Amino acid sequence: MTLPNYFIADLPPEAEISASMIHDACLTLKRNRERYLAGRSTQSLLERLGEIAGNWLQPDYALRKLALERSPRDTGFSPATLASGLDSFFSKITPENLNALLVQELGHAERLDRFVSTPVEERSGRSALAAGPTLLVHVAAGNLPLPALMSLVLGLIVRSAQFLKCASGASLLPRLFAHSLYEVEPKLAACLEIAEWRGGRAELEQPLFEHADRVTVTGTDETIAEIRRKLPARIRLLDYGQRASFGFITRDLLTSHEAKQLAGKAAGDIAAWNQLGCLSPHLFYIEAGGVVSPEQFAELLAAQMARLEEAEPRGPIPAADAAAIASRRAFYEVRAASSPDTRLWQSDDSTAWTIVYEADPGFQLSCLNRFVYVKPVKDLGEALHAAETVRGKVSTVAIAAPENRAQEIAITLARWGVARLCPIGRMQQPSLLWRHDGRASLGDLVTWIDCER
Amino acid sequence: MIRTFAEFTTRLDRFIRANMPLSGNEIRTPAQDHDFGELALSLFALQYGSVPAYRNFCDIRHVTPGSVADWKQIPPVPARAFKEFDLTSLSAAERTHAFHSSGTTGQKPGRQFHDAASLACYEQSLVPWFRAHLLPDEPPEIGLVVLTPSPADAPHSSLVHMAETIRRSFNWRFSEFVAGVDADNAWVLHSEVGVETLRGAQGSGLPVLILGTAFSFVHLLDHLAAGDRDVRLPDGSRVMETGGYKGRSRMMPKDELHELIARRLGVPPSHIVCEYGMSELSSQAYDRAAGHRAPRFNASTLQRPFRFPPWARARIVSPETGMLVGEGETGLIQVFDLANARSVMAIQTEDLAVLRADGFELMGRAQLAEPRGCSLMTAAPR
Repeated sequence: MTLPNYFIADLPPEAEISASMIHDACLTLKRNRERYLAGRSTQSLLERLGEIAGNWLQPDYALRKLALERSPRDTGFSPATLASGLDSFFSKITPENLNALLVQELGHAERLDRFVSTPVEERSGRSALAAGPTLLVHVAAGNLPLPALMSLVLGLIVRSAQFLKCASGASLLPRLFAHSLYEVEPKLAACLEIAEWRGGRAELEQPLFEHADRVTVTGTDETIAEIRRKLPARIRLLDYGQRASFGFITRDLLTSHEAKQLAGKAAGDIAAWNQLGCLSPHLFYIEAGGVVSPEQFAELLAAQMARLEEAEPRGPIPAADAAAIASRRAFYEVRAASSPDTRLWQSDDSTAWTIVYEADPGFQLSCLNRFVYVKPVKDLGEALHAAETVRGKVSTVAIAAPENRAQEIAITLARWGVARLCPIGRMQQPSLLWRHDGRASLGDLVTWIDCER
Repeated sequence: MIRTFAEFTTRLDRFIRANMPLSGNEIRTPAQDHDFGELALSLFALQYGSVPAYRNFCDIRHVTPGSVADWKQIPPVPARAFKEFDLTSLSAAERTHAFHSSGTTGQKPGRQFHDAASLACYEQSLVPWFRAHLLPDEPPEIGLVVLTPSPADAPHSSLVHMAETIRRSFNWRFSEFVAGVDADNAWVLHSEVGVETLRGAQGSGLPVLILGTAFSFVHLLDHLAAGDRDVRLPDGSRVMETGGYKGRSRMMPKDELHELIARRLGVPPSHIVCEYGMSELSSQAYDRAAGHRAPRFNASTLQRPFRFPPWARARIVSPETGMLVGEGETGLIQVFDLANARSVMAIQTEDLAVLRADGFELMGRAQLAEPRGCSLMTAAPR
């Protein structure tokens, strides 16, 4: 199946992208938005989105099949990994869920259509309308394929024309999503542009930013700093920088039965998207004093990783990434040879998975691709003290704790500065309603118009 | 059977003499594999017996001198382990000298210890291979300009020691170190002193040999560019450029750097030699002999393969499986360096290279992927 050249990213690789192409695309997007999108009702958009999501969930949907077929080459993920990612994502895109998102974010499902009031607003004699930016520009990170799709969905709901700039070689999924929109309603797809180039090309990015009303950037702190420098001052930048996540398992749940189950779920967290997202764990802190010791937990985790490798293999990775794993393994092997405080479990004849147990609780960032640390702590206080080096940079902490301790642990983590808490096993499956890095999703995109009576 | 390090160094000395590269076009390699293997296995036995952290590492891999029949089975120790362990057979009292790896601030450097005998071994490895690549035409007189601090200012730098060894060995009339160190011991190129020194050479007609890291060349060239000045070094001048950037100057692709050296200093690319070395090794690899056409030049990667001397062997292994890669494939560089007598001979580097028929091409930064992603990353574990 070949796709028609509908978006810039559809052009053959030898085609040069020019500043004037970007400029023209932005003008067209804005014009099309005015014609086809600005006046649309929210409900009709949610229904369209639900319809598209439904298509993607069909196993024989041509674009889905194409995505899975090209996935290993274009995204680095196996068809099985991408398939479960697509299922988990698109099953959440329903009119009901999107309505709930609108109510959570904007207080009312029709907030984008007309002046409406919540009961509180009603009592104070006010109503309000929210409006999305005219042209919303997204600069997407290249590590995972799906977050960019969520950005597009949010932008569509707030009726923005959107230009998505992908990292080089990372446009496959956004492109296919845009084509699925085109199939269902070409006019909506006409408000969307997808392009890819290696970040930092000022001659392309300058015209793009000049047309933008709002810009979202996901990527390295360096990328964000550079874009911030280039952006005109009038533009609101929504930046999602580098984050790390980890797990915390209390001693109460380390019985032999539960520990094994938790190890299975933790292995799922590590394997999801090959650990490449910021919601993926670098490390698990294990409270000492349970029936199963932290070191034994590491061993259980290793067994689960080996099992998972059979069912959902990590697949090949670039030589530089494999080299990072090989170098770290060799280093920990030397350390383990001279001290019982370090232990290492790893896949044979491949870098598919690695567990490093270290008695030293100091937080350690992983080199990813299914490489994780397990460290013992006496309690949460010690874990947070040891994680001071990444404080303010933590996205998600996955917790396994008994009911009577859960609230206190959650509050401690919240005050310490964590943006999201979830059970072990759900790190890479945030709710559709989650607030990325602690910030409103739709709420951050819109501008409010208040009306007092 | 070699029983002592003294015996080993005598044998190595003989091996180096027997395989001494000829100057000029012919650089003779490889040596008798049998002799290399025998020396490597003897050295492995000595090091296994006298470097405790290395022995532990071999034991965990179930490799002992008794179980190894081929030098290729000797376990290479990761270069990073030098940061954490004293990988040396020298007792604390015997360690008269230490080379430190350049690391990021706040990190413990890796240390390579020496005594007089092992330093002599290092120098014996260094000089002939350097001569074959930087002085193949055996110039009777050349001025040495080193873009590093002097040995007194940087006593733990293996690169500075290398330059100092060259200076002492050839005993030319003119030599100068043109950098210093700041309060944090970071190297600072005295650009104007460097320029003046090179201008002096230009005036006197004495060809020079400039040794420096890629980032020190960038600083020197930037300084010249800022004043829109050039130096035209006399014919026969040459450059040895080594090492990465480590954030100390703007990055510059190699061909661009060489072009600028040619333009601003008057040294043609045919006289610019790249060196690959590290403080954990006692032997170095070079990618060409100065002044010689480089038939090995690879136009598609703008690289020439590096080669170690006959007494050090590089193997390029798959990071995924640890197996040797095929020609044209990418892998991690392992070096088996007989001149690493008193530390560990077999070193696993973290550098990626492409295997070629006659050496290896280093993977430049530009050939690596675009940085991407939203997860925090770090280069080195603590």
